[in-house]
Formats: sequence, C-alpha cells, structure tokens
Amino acid sequence: MDLLIKHKTVVAFTAFTLFCLVSLTAQSTSFTFTIEGIGSALVTPFQKIYDGGQGAVSQLWAGFTELGAIRKELQKTREQLQKYESIAGELNELREENDRLRKLLGLKEEAAYESVPASILSKDPDNWFRTIVINRGERDGVKMNMPVIAYSGGQKAVVGKVAEVRGSVSRVVPIISPDIRIGVKLMDSNYPGLLSGLSSRSTLCIMDYISKEAHLGRNTFVVTSGQGGVFPAGLIIGVVERPILVNSSAYQRAVIRPLIDFGVVEEVFIIKKEPDKDLLELLKDTE
Amino acid sequence: MIYTYVFSGVLLGLSLLIQSHPSFDVLRIAGVKPDLLFIVIVYLAYTYGSFYGEIVGFISGLLQDSISNSLLGLLTFPKMAIGLVVGMFGRSVIKDNILSVTLMLFVASLAKNIVTLMLYYIFHQASASAVIGVILPESFYNAILAPPLFFLFDKIFQKDLKREGYL
Repeated sequence: MDLLIKHKTVVAFTAFTLFCLVSLTAQSTSFTFTIEGIGSALVTPFQKIYDGGQGAVSQLWAGFTELGAIRKELQKTREQLQKYESIAGELNELREENDRLRKLLGLKEEAAYESVPASILSKDPDNWFRTIVINRGERDGVKMNMPVIAYSGGQKAVVGKVAEVRGSVSRVVPIISPDIRIGVKLMDSNYPGLLSGLSSRSTLCIMDYISKEAHLGRNTFVVTSGQGGVFPAGLIIGVVERPILVNSSAYQRAVIRPLIDFGVVEEVFIIKKEPDKDLLELLKDTE
Repeated sequence: MIYTYVFSGVLLGLSLLIQSHPSFDVLRIAGVKPDLLFIVIVYLAYTYGSFYGEIVGFISGLLQDSISNSLLGLLTFPKMAIGLVVGMFGRSVIKDNILSVTLMLFVASLAKNIVTLMLYYIFHQASASAVIGVILPESFYNAILAPPLFFLFDKIFQKDLKREGYL
C-alpha cells in the first residue's frame, strides 16, 4: 500500500490510460484490439501520408497545366451565372403566382410533417467535433434520426439530424460534420449523390458519387433525395460551390455551400418524421 | 487546500461553459476557438505538480468527452497526459515570464492536439488537413491567450503561490 501511495502519479497515470484505452476500444468501430488491428493502425497512417503526398503533387501539377482551361471555364461560368440569375428572378415570380393560385383554389400547404421549434443551447466545446445541443428532447416527442431544419432568407434548409435524445435536450449532427451521410440530388437534373461534411473545421460540405454526365454549374441547388429514410425529399441543402473532377474516378465530386450559416443559426425546427425503420435496420445489419 | 479545489473547479466549469455556449462563438478565429479548459489544466499542472495536473486533466477531459460528440477517452487521454508532463516540469523548471508561458502553452497545445489526432485516427477517422485547420491555429490561439490568463489565475491563487514561495 505504501508503494502505491509513493508512486501514486504513475499508478494514477496507468489506471487512467487503461480506462481511456478500454473505453475507446469498446466504442470504436474502426479499431479492433487484435494483432491485425494494432498492425493495421500502425501501418495505415504511413500509407495515408504517402497517398496524401502523391495527391498533393498531382494537384500542384494539374494547377500549372490546367490554368488556361480554367480561365475559359471561368468565362463560360460567368456567362451561365448571368443566365441563371435571370432564371432565378423568373422562378420567384412563378412561385408567387403558384402560391396565389393555390390560395384561390383553396389547396392546402404542402407541409406534410409536424415540426417542433427549438433553440440551440450549446455547441461542441472542442474544435474536433461539430455537434449542436438543442432544448427539445424525448418529452417533446423528439426521436433519433429526426431531420432538423432552419429558415434562411425565407427558405427552409437542412441543418442536420438528431443523433442523441435525452429527457429535455437532444444532440444534432449538422450537415457540415464529416460524420453525417445524406442522400441528395441536384435540383435541376436529378443526378443523385452522397453528402457529408468537408472537414472537421470547414463550414462546407462535399457531395460525392455524382455521375460524370451531370453538369455541375456554380450555384446549382442541391436538395435531399428522400432516399435513406431520414430526410423527406426536396429539402434544400445548399448550392454547388465548385466541382472536383478526378480523372481516375468513375464519379465526380462537388463542394457544396450550405444555405444555413452555422455561425449565426440560433433557432431550428425538428421535423417529426420518424425514419424508415426497415431501411435503418437494413443499414444496421450491413454495418 | 479546499480553496484550491473549489477555485480549480469553478475555473474549469467556467471555461467549459464559455467553450460550449453559442454566445461565445465570437471567440472563433478562422473557425477555431481557444481551448480555455486546456489552458486552465496547464496552469494547474504548472502550479500544483504532475499528480494534480493529471487528475484535473482526467476529470476535465471526461467532462468534455461527455458533453462533446467524441468517444469517451478521446479528449480525456491527451489532457491527462499533458497535465502529467507539464506538472513534471512545473514552476521550478519553467520560469514564470511571458515568453516561457507562451512557448509552454504552444508546445503543450501542439502535443495535445497531435495525440488527439493520433487517437482520432486510430479509433475514429481523421484527416491530415486537421494539422493546418485545427492543430496549428488552436495552438497559436492558446499560446497568445496564456500570459493574460496566467496573470489572472496568479491573482486567484495568490495565497497558494506565496505559501510555496513563487511570489
């Protein structure tokens, strides 16, 4: 006992380290405490560094060689942007006319799901994670995986989904988190893709697995596809910021700027849409 | 000693509140906010030694893990380990002046974030872009904030520092 007290710093350090390791291993999905798991964890970082370095050199070279092509593309894009801006104005007029005619005909609004307003209580205290805590929980009928939206410039857009529910608070994973995966599509052409956060610090998203046939014009709207069983179809996510074409890949990617400004959003709405249980169970089984 | 425990707890609680409340998002520079909790841990380890440093680091890390979306242990281990290392040097080795404190916080933040990145990499998924996106800016931010905060903490723990002969 005297020995333990004498070396209390070492004893405490060993105990705390063991606690952390056991806890992390028990919760982790990407690490197994086996010889293969440890070996893989040791080797993979070097493989990724090599891969990252090679990618950076290729991108740098592409930057020099593709400058002329990018200038032409920029000119073309500017012309297209002018065209789309005029279309946006026409669309607004059409929307207003549509609303007016709907009212005249006595049609109901399209809102199919009930929603609960909520305020943001806190944000993740660390720079490594991006979750938001809201003041609505189980008592208000909030359930796991319910979609969360907010209004920006009069339009409703996706904030994220509920990842954890407690009595009177819930944790929301925003669309800018690299941990989220949402089935989305391009609004004008219906080409599907998979959306997630760009990085742990960025306020942008990345849309992956887009067909190379799709034209990814700047400011093209990206909406939820309804596939995946969590988000209803047609909710606005954001607009295309820039396309990323990788010659070696069968698909193209795009950086998406969310419509919601996550730095200023304070009020959100939880859509009381229960996720498609069969689909979620299927996803759990495949994991 | 009760005074030390109570004020340590108050400081840790306050810094955690400031870090997590959306009203303090104004503290963000280039998308990164300072790790005030870590600055408090380093101060306590620097003043009260390695045992106190690792205990405070462990408890604060657990608290942060529980209110963050991280795996339990991911933010705890780096804080606990750095608390221990900083405490091993302490005030007797690292002199209490602006340059030493700034440098100590920069190196400690860098080490904490590198350990976090490694754990994040092994147990979750991480990107090397975090080095430029999170690790370096947060370390600079913590280092710049350290001297004024250490000055403030010195005032709070003045009695203890006088007793130990540091003032």
